[in-house]
Amino acid sequence: MNTTAHRHEVPDDPLGAIDYCFDQGWTDGLPVVPPEAGRVAAMLAFEGRPPETVIAEHPATGLRLTVESLAANAVMAGCKPEYLPVLVAAFEAMNEPDFNFHGSCASTGGSAPLLIVSGPAVEELGLNSGVNLFGPGNRANATIGRAVRLALLNVFKMIPGISDKSTQGHPGKFSFCIGERADRSPWPRLCEALDYPEGVSSVTVYAGAGFVNLENHGANTPEMLCDSFADGMANYGCISKGETVLVVSPEHAKIIGDAGWSREQTQAYLFERARRTVGQLQAIGKYHQREHERGQKLGADDAEHIHRGLTPDDILIVVGGGDAGGHSAFIPSWSRTRGSLRQSKPIGVCLDC
Amino acid sequence: MQLIDPTGTSSERRLARAAPLDKLDGAVIGLLNNNKVNADVLLRETAALFEARHGCSVIEMRHKMNASAPAPSDKIEDLAAHADFLITAMGD
Repeated sequence: MNTTAHRHEVPDDPLGAIDYCFDQGWTDGLPVVPPEAGRVAAMLAFEGRPPETVIAEHPATGLRLTVESLAANAVMAGCKPEYLPVLVAAFEAMNEPDFNFHGSCASTGGSAPLLIVSGPAVEELGLNSGVNLFGPGNRANATIGRAVRLALLNVFKMIPGISDKSTQGHPGKFSFCIGERADRSPWPRLCEALDYPEGVSSVTVYAGAGFVNLENHGANTPEMLCDSFADGMANYGCISKGETVLVVSPEHAKIIGDAGWSREQTQAYLFERARRTVGQLQAIGKYHQREHERGQKLGADDAEHIHRGLTPDDILIVVGGGDAGGHSAFIPSWSRTRGSLRQSKPIGVCLDC
Repeated sequence: MQLIDPTGTSSERRLARAAPLDKLDGAVIGLLNNNKVNADVLLRETAALFEARHGCSVIEMRHKMNASAPAPSDKIEDLAAHADFLITAMGD
C-alpha cells in the first residue's frame, strides 16, 4: 500500500495506546480508538483511490487531508469501515470554495459542520433519523460526526483558542450528523431533490450554529405551524441573510403534508414570514445599510423588510426525529452575512468521472 | 502496535516575505477591505496618515466579498501590480 503517513511504534497495550493518543494531542478531549495500522487499512478498503489522494486542502495554510489521514481519524472516532465514503463525500463538499470551511471553523461564530445524510445509506449504515435524532445512542451518527471534528483538529489544526476562536462553540462541535427520515416525509428525499440518480445517497454539509427548538403542540394547520417556525427563524439573535436548515419532526410534517403543501410551498411561506423591519433591526443595532444593500442586489426584499436569507431556496427542509412530539429544529447558519453556503455530494460515487 | 499518524501532510508551498520598501515617501498604497462594517473607515483613516506624513497616494479600494475567505488570487495580483504596499484590516 502506498502510504505517506508517519507511523508510531507503541507497546502492544491498548490502554497505553489510548494514553499515547492523549499525549500526542490527537483527541477531542474524549478517549479515542488508537489508529492501529490494520484498522486503518480495513477502513481504506472502502475507498477506491490511493491512500495519498488529497480530498480537501486548507486554502490559507496548505494543509491537506488525504484519504489515509481521514481513515485514521475515522478509526479514532470509532467509525466502522463502511462509514468512510460518507466522510469522504462530506470533506469533498466542505472543500468547495463556497463552503469556506476555514472561516466557518475559525470564526467566533462557533459553528459546526452539520451532516445530513439522505437516501439508502441511512438504512444501510444504520444512521439514526428518528427518536433522539441529535442526541446520543447511535454509533453511525456519533462517530461520523466525531470523525469530522477529529480531522478538523488533527489535520487542519483548527485548535480551540488558537485557530478556532469560537466565542462559545456548541455541543455539535463534538458530533453533528443526522439521517433524513424518509418514511415520515411528505416530500421527495433530499438526494432526489438534488437530482442524483436513483439509489445514490447524498450528504449535505452545512455550517450550523446552535440548535433552536421549535416547540408547538397546539398548531393544527400549516399556517399556524409555519408562523411559529418563521418566528424562530427571524428571532433577533439569529436573523441574518444566511441560509436555514429546518428539521421538521414527523408530527409537524404530517400537519403540513396532510394539507398538501409541497416543500417549495412551505419554503415560500416561511421565507415570506421570517423577516423583520428595518426599524426593528435598527433598534437592536443589527441593521447595516451597506450589508443589506448588497443583499438586495442579490435578490432580497425592499428596504422595509429584511428577510432571513435571500430566497426561499435558502431554506433547507428535511424531516427527522421521533414519532411523538411537537418539536422541530431550526439550525441557524454561521455568519452574519453569507460566509458559508451548504454543499452536497453523492456518497461513494463520482458522477463527473 | 503500529499507529498511523492522523495529522496528515502539508503541501510544499514555500512562502517568503516581500523585500522591504527603501522608503515610504511618495509610495502608492493599495487598500483591501474585508467588507466588515467600518473596515473602510479604518483603512481610509490609516491611509490618510501615510498621505499626510509621507506624501503617499492611494488607489481605489478593493473589496473582498467574504470577510473570512482568502482574497482571490487575481485581486491580489491586481493590487500588487498597481501598489507599492498594501494595507488590509478588518473593522467590526
